[in-house]
Amino acid sequence: MRTWLNALLSLLFTFLLITTAGAATDSATCLSCHGSMEGAVNVNKEKYEKSVHGSFDCVMCHAAPKGDQHQGMGGAAPDKAVREFAAAIAPKGLKDTLAAAACAGCHPDKVEEYKGSIHGQNVIVKKSADGPVCTNCHGVPHYIEKRPSTASKVYLFNVVESCGKCHEEKHITEKYRFSPLVMERYKESFHGRKLKLGHSGAPSCANCHGSHAIVSAKDPKSPVGSVEAKKKTCGACHPGATEKFVAAITHKPLHPIAHFTEIGLILLTVGTFIFIITHVLLDIFADIRDRLFRKGGDHHE
Amino acid sequence: MNKNIPQEIQRFDLSARIQHIIMFTTFLILSFTGWGLKYAYVEPSSAWINIWGGPRVAGIIHRVAGILMLLDFIYHQFYLLNLARKKDLRLTIIPMPKDVVDLVHNFMYFLGLRKERPYFGKFTYLQKFDYWAVYWGMFIIGTSGFFLAFPVTVSALFPTWSLAWAWDVLFIMHSDEALLAIVFILIIHFYNEHLRSEYFPMNWLWLTGKMPIEQFKHHHPAEFDYLYGKGSEKKK
Repeated sequence: MRTWLNALLSLLFTFLLITTAGAATDSATCLSCHGSMEGAVNVNKEKYEKSVHGSFDCVMCHAAPKGDQHQGMGGAAPDKAVREFAAAIAPKGLKDTLAAAACAGCHPDKVEEYKGSIHGQNVIVKKSADGPVCTNCHGVPHYIEKRPSTASKVYLFNVVESCGKCHEEKHITEKYRFSPLVMERYKESFHGRKLKLGHSGAPSCANCHGSHAIVSAKDPKSPVGSVEAKKKTCGACHPGATEKFVAAITHKPLHPIAHFTEIGLILLTVGTFIFIITHVLLDIFADIRDRLFRKGGDHHE
Repeated sequence: MNKNIPQEIQRFDLSARIQHIIMFTTFLILSFTGWGLKYAYVEPSSAWINIWGGPRVAGIIHRVAGILMLLDFIYHQFYLLNLARKKDLRLTIIPMPKDVVDLVHNFMYFLGLRKERPYFGKFTYLQKFDYWAVYWGMFIIGTSGFFLAFPVTVSALFPTWSLAWAWDVLFIMHSDEALLAIVFILIIHFYNEHLRSEYFPMNWLWLTGKMPIEQFKHHHPAEFDYLYGKGSEKKK
């Protein structure tokens, strides 16, 4: 019995060796074509090697490249977590779903969080293509960089733009009944302005709403889902945040009182502006007139 | 000309001049740092704020300058009280019905409907407006600025029914009225005290506190007459 097992094992091992040796599918092999191809199949070698996954062989994610040209190429069969995740995100309709799901192989904790998030639920449960998968937020998979890098799509100062790709899109905001002003109201808030000016302490979307495990702000599980949760979330930067304090940031459209206060003050500003401009211009006019025609004006009455 | 009439007349004492210097220095710093935040999305705001040491430092500068300005304003109230105590306070800066008459007369003069400028007193209606604008600014911008600088502490003062709009109102008040103040100062004050041909590049009164008597007679004839004019034996 034992010898049989041993023989089987060594046979399997030999088989594995033969496959890998025969294919020689390291990233250099792939890039020899894909590095110079045009269009969507192009992979920029330099940028790829600079990315966090730059040392990986392509087949680690693209385990089963399609087409005759790829015959004999490929990697180890993806493990169960990847296959399951690929099946889950199939509604997204990606070209190589298996590759897009490969993240699950090394980042199972993040993927688990994602699966429970409103984004994950949208794709996995509602079978919608609207929700984002990993690459929608983290960017082109070949060029993912660490978050502190300015090239990262989830870099503090890029998050607003990344979220805005969907949350500012009219068909998405209408379909899911988001307040259409969420992004605008954030951008004009103190947080948004300071972030724009490069304040590293200013929060972007993810700082308050979370990232992989994000849920609707109406969901009590959200870090901004209840007054108590807000007190904790806001309190991280504003120690002692009270119930009244956390009311400051809502991203809701302006309340009518605030709206009409703004209109009133704009009218006051414009009115004053017109008055003083007229006043100064007439004053200049009278000054010139007196100098030209009244010889010294009323200086020596 | 009467021999008792001096060559120059004292308009502002040393304390008032120092108050003015603190006021305009803090005003300029507040405007410069605040502008970058108000127009954060209009370049080159980021570069501009970086000149001020970046958003964090600019924020601290803005707060310190704001508190200094508020202190200057509070000091001014004590200064007035002290003048009143010494019976040295004439209510020449209070807006009066005559100011409306002066305004109409001034526009008639501009349009050539009157030969002479209005019979201005110690302070013209524009100067009064300028002065009281600071009170308006302190009330609107100073209060909202104080609230926005210490939001957690101050939030306890808000009644619950105001929460849906109070923060936005404060923000709007602070930013819009600051713009009004900047526009007002930039146009009226710069024209009258800097660009006007007789003062260019500036009216040195802010340093000396004194005005040549001819200029004084020309710009504030009612006050001149009150002090030295027709049969006025220095009332008070």
